[in-house]
Amino acid sequence: MLEFVLCFIIILSAILALVQKDLLKAAILTGFCGGAMAVLFHILLAPDVALTQAIVETAIVPVFIALAVKKTQRSDG
Amino acid sequence: MNELIPLMVIVPLMAALLISAFSKFNRITKIFAFVVALCLPLIPILSNYGLHYFGGYEPMLDNVTGVMFHPAITYSFTFLQQVFIGAVGLLTFLVIFIYLTKYKEVSGPYLFLLFLGTAAVTAMILTDDIFHMFVFFEILALAQVGIVAASSIDYSYEMALKYMILGSIGSPMMLLGIGFLLALTGSVNITDIASAVHMGLIDATSPVFLLSLALIFFGWLYASGLPPFHTIKSGIYSKAEPHGAALLQSFTVMAMISIVLIMFRIYSSLPIFEVLIVFFSILAMILGVSLALTQTDFRRMIGFLAVGELGFIGLGIGLGTNFSLTAGLFQALNEILITALLFIGFGAIVNATNEVDTRKLGGLLAYHPKVSIMLLIGGLAMAGVPPLNGFQSKLMLVQASLSCGFPELSILAIMVSIATFVVFVKTYYTIFLKPKPNDLELENRDVPRSMVLVMGILLIIIVILGIFPDMVTNGISSFVGGIL
Amino acid sequence: MAQTQLAILLTSAALVIIGLYAAIFIDNIIKKIIGISFIEEGVNLFIVAIGYKAGGVVPILMPGMDTSWFASNAAYPLPFGLVLTSIVIGASTLAVMLALVMVLYKRYGTLSTKVMLADTSKQEEYDE
Repeated sequence: MLEFVLCFIIILSAILALVQKDLLKAAILTGFCGGAMAVLFHILLAPDVALTQAIVETAIVPVFIALAVKKTQRSDG
Repeated sequence: MNELIPLMVIVPLMAALLISAFSKFNRITKIFAFVVALCLPLIPILSNYGLHYFGGYEPMLDNVTGVMFHPAITYSFTFLQQVFIGAVGLLTFLVIFIYLTKYKEVSGPYLFLLFLGTAAVTAMILTDDIFHMFVFFEILALAQVGIVAASSIDYSYEMALKYMILGSIGSPMMLLGIGFLLALTGSVNITDIASAVHMGLIDATSPVFLLSLALIFFGWLYASGLPPFHTIKSGIYSKAEPHGAALLQSFTVMAMISIVLIMFRIYSSLPIFEVLIVFFSILAMILGVSLALTQTDFRRMIGFLAVGELGFIGLGIGLGTNFSLTAGLFQALNEILITALLFIGFGAIVNATNEVDTRKLGGLLAYHPKVSIMLLIGGLAMAGVPPLNGFQSKLMLVQASLSCGFPELSILAIMVSIATFVVFVKTYYTIFLKPKPNDLELENRDVPRSMVLVMGILLIIIVILGIFPDMVTNGISSFVGGIL
Repeated sequence: MAQTQLAILLTSAALVIIGLYAAIFIDNIIKKIIGISFIEEGVNLFIVAIGYKAGGVVPILMPGMDTSWFASNAAYPLPFGLVLTSIVIGASTLAVMLALVMVLYKRYGTLSTKVMLADTSKQEEYDE
């Protein structure tokens, strides 16, 4: 049952990240998507991939995007 | 000495990392880069042919099905790999030689990118593992973007970002195709996949197999700059420094032939595969030449001509016979040398005049006679004038398409060659022969002597290959016989 | 549990399509890059789903396990190894793209792709 919820969270946070006006919120939602996927990888019997995914996609990538947003502009448009 | 096979990748990779770490010490960096660059063409010449299994895992026989399978990442080194790695190694050496003599202060990161690109294309052509190829494909894309972004030409960052965005759409598509192949066969080793396809273990007409072809083909189009990516490819050539562009086009050709040979081994049983390659090659030939005719920036013109020449390689491979594949691969080798000569030669002109618009140039024959004569011979080689090497490979291509029963293709190839000749002579006339415009200020700057020397070396190789093509074609032909 | 695998394949297809839509049609360059990272994540999810075996065990051989039972029940580990590499490649590509965006923002003062990238050809025309 958990995997269906996770699939739903992944797609929902991906769509929400792309419709946000605030780019910082988009960065955080990207992290949500990656984090849900890390749990999903664990369910899919790949704990090593889940660890890497948890570090890279929930911590490093959102921080990179947030840094880029801080150096440029925060609002879309 | 089979131990030298992995060194072909490890030496430039390690050199790249060391140089970027110790780039503070200018003099040591220069000497080190020169020595490593000198090693690059020597290693493939000294190495023996053979296979290298990483980790020492030998191929195993499956007792149930009686099929050999390969657990290790395998590097296979034959005559074809020797020739191409030697050519790119030599070109890297020459380009680094130009770079080291041109600038007093060398930039460590730039040398890092040059070595990284060389390591990536070497690994791509050596490897027998499709995922290994994908990893180096990504590294190559990053290195190309870096070489473009590091140049001091206007709008190079924009071009680099554009190329990168297209690349990051193209490479996940290729990974998806590799994923489909993995799902079908359970292996990433190309020999294993090809034997599974040819023994009928997987259904060659299944939609998943066709979809994997389409996705990997898309990645190939991006890597080799065939249409619809021809504009961006010629754009990145024109935004890189001339010696950088000479190396970038050799990376493109190497990536093109290594991916297409992999695809050929897996998909050659599908008739649509060859039709697709021939279609996109013809498109590239026609679009490349006709767009080159309209350009006024001569760097961009050479970029489009280079894309047009790629079409000839694709044509040879798409026809699918032993002779045509040999012709296509020989054309690839010739193009690496000829286009490098043209980029360096026109780069010398930019260096001397600071002008890239052909309409504002003229009468340079009197000022730079050596460069102009070498450029003329290079352009004639590209257009296919005897006895230069471009003539030999194009003649082979025309004969191959005639013997396959496609006289239309050989007529088209001849017409595109003539159009290439026209484009080149037109540009040559406006730059060198036309009377010098009054507002053109020649600042009395000489062409760097290292550039002239490098052009001379490339020219000697072009003439030798033109007179004795058998040196290369016999070996390539026996390699092609092995994969058909 | 074929439903699990089907749901996951559909999710990965949805991610690839959302990402492609964003990378092609959205004007803001940061959102384009986020879309590209979604494409990569979708492909990673697909490849992990290939190795999944319903009702299987994690492919780590613990002491005391029967080898033949393990061989027939463990998930296929090769795709997992590939995805590890692919995640790291994706992150590094993203970092390079963001660095280029930061440089270009200083020059143009906007994140719009139409202004930032389509300008190249026009500028060349002005130069001529």
